[in-house]
Amino acid sequence: MKQAHCIYQNDDHRWLAIARDASKPGYLIDTNEYVVMDGDQALLCDPGGIEIFPAVFSALSAECDPTTLAGIFASHQDPDIISSLALWLEFKPDLKCYTSWLWQSFLPHFGGSESTFVPIPDPGMTIRLGSLELQAIPAHYLHSSGNHHLYDPKAKILFSGDVGAALLPPDQGGLYVEDFTRHIRHAEGFHKRWMGSDRAKRDWCERVSRLDIDMMVPQHGAIYQGADVQRFINWFAALEVGVLRG
Amino acid sequence: MNAPEKLKTPSRSASELTCIVRVNEEIKSIVATAFRINLMALNAIFLAKRAGNAALGFGVLSNELRRFAQDLTRHMASLRDMTSGSVGSVTGVVQQQRNSAILLQAIRLSGDGVPGVREARKRGAQRLAEQHGRLRALDQRLRAAVEETQQLVELGGVLARSAKIEAAYGGGFSPALMQVSTDFAEVIAQIKRSLEVLGKERLVKD
Ligand SMILES: [Fe+2]
Ligand SMILES: [Fe+2]
Repeated sequence: MKQAHCIYQNDDHRWLAIARDASKPGYLIDTNEYVVMDGDQALLCDPGGIEIFPAVFSALSAECDPTTLAGIFASHQDPDIISSLALWLEFKPDLKCYTSWLWQSFLPHFGGSESTFVPIPDPGMTIRLGSLELQAIPAHYLHSSGNHHLYDPKAKILFSGDVGAALLPPDQGGLYVEDFTRHIRHAEGFHKRWMGSDRAKRDWCERVSRLDIDMMVPQHGAIYQGADVQRFINWFAALEVGVLRG
Repeated sequence: MNAPEKLKTPSRSASELTCIVRVNEEIKSIVATAFRINLMALNAIFLAKRAGNAALGFGVLSNELRRFAQDLTRHMASLRDMTSGSVGSVTGVVQQQRNSAILLQAIRLSGDGVPGVREARKRGAQRLAEQHGRLRALDQRLRAAVEETQQLVELGGVLARSAKIEAAYGGGFSPALMQVSTDFAEVIAQIKRSLEVLGKERLVKD
């Protein structure tokens, strides 16, 4: 059963990780959802698929008043990211969904109307939440052709969508990366196969290296902290991507 | 907590979709039969012309049967419009039922105390009631249209029976005219059976 863990708190500025669900059916890829809260406003990052909506909703509700949800940030268009959209709108019809302009006319197939979507331009944008100024950071072609990550400069947290994802065995169910070398083995195949562009990857590595990051929180697998963040960026920069095998 | 409870799919509306499929199939078969009647009537008109004075009455009835086939085709076209509209309404109901069921499951997991859930459920129930209302109205219109078509087909049956009587006066052409009028009676009986099936279908199960 999913549970919300508080991974950052400074007064009423909080980050929740709804992570690692051992009880979900094996045919569904395991996902992490994140909630950024400031004051009486909350933003849900990559809310997940239809099948896991009840688990995510109840985990979120246990830690945060769901009526304070002001928006949804969708890093890209995949079903494991955003196919639950209609259900969140069922609960709160005036929710805004921030997503790349590229997916603006695709995501309504999952739900919502014209007024639901706030298109993020290719260079990214600022998303205001309470007193926070969250930054949508471009991560195009990693893996989706219209893809953004979300950076919170105050909490120094980077939500990195599928980048940093690891498909971990059940015995490595911890919330945080404990042994980088052991962990990254489970990320390698995924990044080689899913990340399509070497140039986009180098651009991203340069871009995020300039950010001050304490925690990098991916949509699958464990959270990178401290020195593991730069370790990951270096590892990714050196990795050959866009290959079927090898 | 073990594996999450399997999400319930609303089988009721799925069966409503199956019902629309059955209605459409029945409509298609009636349209095909109406086309056949039209051709049969054309042949009968030529046959009556060849039979001359002996088959004047038969000729008039054949013309009437042809008009009947054209009216029937028009009726079926409007029935088809209704059912294609109902696919949209049923899909709306299916989606709303599915969303409401999943939301209910989420609320059960979270407990009733979560703010906003009562309003969300109320909104969902309201939308569902509206969509069901639309579907019910469509169902009534469909049934009324089927009844109207049944009356038209009764008239077709009378024409076929009269044609049979007229065929008896066809002199040397009598056996051929008799065969044609028997064929008319058979296809009209077939349409009657199809309409009976249609009349029993319900787009909304109460
Ligand atoms: Fe993805
Ligand atoms: Fe993913």
